[in-house]
Amino acid sequence: MSNQKKRNFQIEAFKHRVVVDPKYADKTWKILEHAIHEIYNHNASGLSFEELYRNAYNMVLHKFGEKLYNGLVATMTSHLREISKSIEAAQGDSFLEELNRKWNDHNKALQMIRDILMYMDRTYIPSAHKTPVHELGLNLWRDNIIHSSKIQTRLQNTLLELVHRERTGEVIDRGLMRNIVKMLMDLGPSVYQEDFEKPFLEVSAEFYRGESQKFIECCDCGDYLKKAEKRLNEEIERVTHYLDSKSEVKITNVVEKEMIANHMLRLVHMENSGLVNMLLDDKYEDLGRMYNLFRRVPNGLSTIREVMTSHLRETGKQLVTDPERLKDPVEFVQRLLDEKDKYDSIISNAFNNDKTFQNALNSSFEYFINLNARSPEFISLFVDDKLRKGLKGVSEEDVEIILDKVMMLFRYLQEKDVFEKYYKQHLAKRLLSGKTVSDDAERSLIVKLKTECGYQFTSKLEGMFTDMKTSQDTMQGFYASQPELGDGPTLVVQVLTTGSWPTQPGVTCNLPAEMSALCEKFRSYYLGTHTGRRLSWQTNMGTADIKATFGKGQKHELNVSTYQMCVLMLFNNADRLSYKEIEQATEIPTADLKRCLQSMACVKGKNVLRKEPMSKDIGEEDAFFVNDKFTSKFYKVKIGTVVAQKESEPEKLETRQRVEEDRKPQIEAAIVRIMKSRRVLDHNNIITEVTKQLQSRFLANPTEIKKRIESLIERDFLERDSVDRKLYRYLA
Amino acid sequence: MKISKDRVRFNVGGRIFETTSTTLANAGRNSFFGALFSENWTLKQPNNDSFSNCEFFIDRNPDCFSVLLDLLRTGDLNIPPNIPERHLYREASFYGLLDHVRSAKWGQFDGNRLRHSRSVTGRAPGDGTAIRAGPDGGCCVAHGSVVHVYDWIMEEHPPLNLDYQRVNDVGWVDSENIIISACEKLGRGDGGMGLFSKGTGELRYKFQVCHDNQVKSFTAGALSTSSDYKIFSSCKGRSNEYGIGVWDQVTGKQIDFFYESPGWSLGDADKLQWLNGSNCLLVATLFPRKDNCYISMLDFRDKRMVWSWSDFGAPTTVDEKRVRDAIAMEESNAICVVNEYEDLGFMDLRMTGGSVRWSSRSRMMKGKLSEEPCYPKLALHEGQLFSSMDDCVSVFCGPDWVLTSRLRRSYGGSICDFSIGGDRLFALHSEENVFDVWETPPPPVS
Repeated sequence: MSNQKKRNFQIEAFKHRVVVDPKYADKTWKILEHAIHEIYNHNASGLSFEELYRNAYNMVLHKFGEKLYNGLVATMTSHLREISKSIEAAQGDSFLEELNRKWNDHNKALQMIRDILMYMDRTYIPSAHKTPVHELGLNLWRDNIIHSSKIQTRLQNTLLELVHRERTGEVIDRGLMRNIVKMLMDLGPSVYQEDFEKPFLEVSAEFYRGESQKFIECCDCGDYLKKAEKRLNEEIERVTHYLDSKSEVKITNVVEKEMIANHMLRLVHMENSGLVNMLLDDKYEDLGRMYNLFRRVPNGLSTIREVMTSHLRETGKQLVTDPERLKDPVEFVQRLLDEKDKYDSIISNAFNNDKTFQNALNSSFEYFINLNARSPEFISLFVDDKLRKGLKGVSEEDVEIILDKVMMLFRYLQEKDVFEKYYKQHLAKRLLSGKTVSDDAERSLIVKLKTECGYQFTSKLEGMFTDMKTSQDTMQGFYASQPELGDGPTLVVQVLTTGSWPTQPGVTCNLPAEMSALCEKFRSYYLGTHTGRRLSWQTNMGTADIKATFGKGQKHELNVSTYQMCVLMLFNNADRLSYKEIEQATEIPTADLKRCLQSMACVKGKNVLRKEPMSKDIGEEDAFFVNDKFTSKFYKVKIGTVVAQKESEPEKLETRQRVEEDRKPQIEAAIVRIMKSRRVLDHNNIITEVTKQLQSRFLANPTEIKKRIESLIERDFLERDSVDRKLYRYLA
Repeated sequence: MKISKDRVRFNVGGRIFETTSTTLANAGRNSFFGALFSENWTLKQPNNDSFSNCEFFIDRNPDCFSVLLDLLRTGDLNIPPNIPERHLYREASFYGLLDHVRSAKWGQFDGNRLRHSRSVTGRAPGDGTAIRAGPDGGCCVAHGSVVHVYDWIMEEHPPLNLDYQRVNDVGWVDSENIIISACEKLGRGDGGMGLFSKGTGELRYKFQVCHDNQVKSFTAGALSTSSDYKIFSSCKGRSNEYGIGVWDQVTGKQIDFFYESPGWSLGDADKLQWLNGSNCLLVATLFPRKDNCYISMLDFRDKRMVWSWSDFGAPTTVDEKRVRDAIAMEESNAICVVNEYEDLGFMDLRMTGGSVRWSSRSRMMKGKLSEEPCYPKLALHEGQLFSSMDDCVSVFCGPDWVLTSRLRRSYGGSICDFSIGGDRLFALHSEENVFDVWETPPPPVS
């Protein structure tokens, strides 16, 4: 029996083990609650961590987790209400300080509470799906402090007021700001955004709207941009000092919109200080600032680009169409190059070498250079000038730089074939007169043209160089084979391949007997070494050095053209010759004869002939004498022909005509090439494709293409489709 | 002086221990010792100036404290035979050192170093259907219509059930939550799929299938979860609701449904596997009503079957090889399959419609199968491939999947399911109601 009783007693004791004392939970909680109070009252030094931890542990172990948790919520909430009151009571500036101090206290208390309740945090909270202690503490702070009606707006206004004061130049306690903002971020991104960031952005927008309005009324463009840049940097700095780094994009967007985007057009077009003035005055710093600021807003850069483009086109158009400027081709091209240099350095110094700006620059140049049909000629003349004399004493690198710049202008040309034409003429003159300064420079330019336009473009130009070289060898051979010629006049022949040179089917004039005999010797030598060739003399292109003795015994060596030589030689046998007699004896074409007589009789200092009557122009009835009174400081006298550097109107038309003529076969070849591969194509597509194919050489005229198509149809290369008249077919 | 300042003296349940604060720092901030030594608390201890002489009293068991102190000193766990494991765990939990004990108890998983740790016998009647390893070393076992849940200590938690319907599959959503898929009960809306809390056993969500805006009852089959909080399950409804359902773990709402196309089986699928790299779901139907196997890869973003294979219409060879399990191996762009003779086969995931490349390795196994064999299962863990056959698990490694280890316990009959997770392997036997726990021992002493 007693045994039985004992067992019963044991079972009973086991059953009640959990609730030994019915007030156990309340008592334990009281201890913990007291501890929490002491912690909040900075009075924790008397607390035993081990005891508190063990008590909290035991409550959870004995299934009083919920009581513990609810007690925590209630106690913490009541403390936070007290704290809230003390923060509310803080006056003026001490408000934020008090808030910050209490926040630090709360954080520390929270950490200690969580230490005591660690076991609950680890076991009870996850299984009961409650909020962990730390997060709970933050949530309660948010709800009882930050969102309490008396603090929420006040906090917001205080923060915004401080930002405003800083913007107006006051010094504020950034450390305190940083702490408060950090608190808002710790409470969760939504708290920071709703309670601070959103109103901050709104207030900022308003501030900058007002300020930018003020600035734009009283500042010039450069100053305005400086101010905007300063504000932008201030805001970025503000973010790094005391805001969430994610706010940077948002606040800079506000400044960009209010200070830049909203005033973009007004800034760009601002009178006397806008973009155009900056460009004119090469204000790299202002331009760079504008670029960097405008880059931040939508359409900012395109606004700058458009204004720059239209300004460039306008000034460029003036430059190429101003008749004053057209007088000197070298000056004309130099101005283009200067303009290009100016904008190149603006783009590289201020516009960050922006590709889109470079493209805009190129397209503008392309636009206005081609407005003037003479641009190809002028560019070639510029090269001619440089290669004749302009490159003397210039280093090889600088030559390359000049040539590269020329090539850049060349690239803008639509009528590259016109350039080629002129270039050929000018090159021929340079080569034949031996005026070219640097063979390397000549060849370098040819190589550049070749890389730019391909082999065909330069093959004839290269042929010209080959002819020059071959002629040298031929002349050596000629004199080696005819040793008896040592004493007489010296003949230098340049054998030019037909087609490579811009030769005119000029009439050969009558050479003096000594010369024509020599020429015949050369002819037979040359034809003897080369079979199947034909030689004709281009007397209009040659030069001669002759020795002359005048009346008072003055001896001079005259450098003259072949025509002039022929005329002068006549005076060996006569004192007076009439125009008619000269014309008859030499058979020089009238225009050329007049020009060559003019240069010998009417130019001061070069007047080896005397004319009667004295006048500027050559008349059919004039008579010519040797000018016995001719004097010159120099022994060698160069008597140039009066040549138009620039082409005269009729010559220009003639060149134009030849260009047009040369284009015809090219257009036809393009049409045939295209039709051969496409077999059938409609009119519009042919035009597009032909234009595309030829665009590296010239801009084909649609009417001309149409004419060529018709011509090809006549010659049975193509036919019109019997049904659709717009379609063409290729006839193999 | 500095060294002596580091010293700490404890009085634990009357016994004096001396150690250093450096040793105790190993416990981490988030523990009893971490809090005790934090600046908030230490300053309030008496005799602050003679730090080394002060004594901290802790009202706990000194024997367990000694074991745990050694754990903090060496990282090794040595439980003397006179201390019950449960007792030690209780104490570790008090100090917040349970994680330390857990990670000292067994090492990082390596299929070739596994050691049988213990066998757990259950009380449930009926065959086990599935065993699933939890992320923290626990497991859950489906028996008939009940799921038994064990934590890593192998303490059993309240069993789970979904209207007491037959459980088809179970899975861990995270270390706290378990999903169960079960058969429907005609006309009652019972069964289907539910999410349970591990600790309390309460049903947190019941997942529903909607078709034409009507809630339908359904039978949920195989389960899978993705890292972006989705749950996938094969579903069989009454009429059209065959296919793969997708739910959100957080809200419990259905977010997608991949309807089965005619002539292809999805709703009967026995295995789902979410592939993180390719953003696809592997669906394998291996024991269908119509005797054909279907394996497919589904891309839910554009509702497309991006890869598929079936043995439909394939000629039956002499030694008929039926695919019994399949697993996708993303690193090698392949699917590994296994037949009832534990032959492994491979398919290339980069081209659809290919055939299985069998590696006939285990012909000698034939003939000595136990009387009631279970079909083989596959698992993949960090480059090691596992397959169960009869009463043992084989481990394959390397690019050519060489057999490197074999795990066998003679007791319990053939293995009907196994699972790897929380650095443990669990094998469920079919004849006796028992499952084995395999662990990798901690690393060697030196």
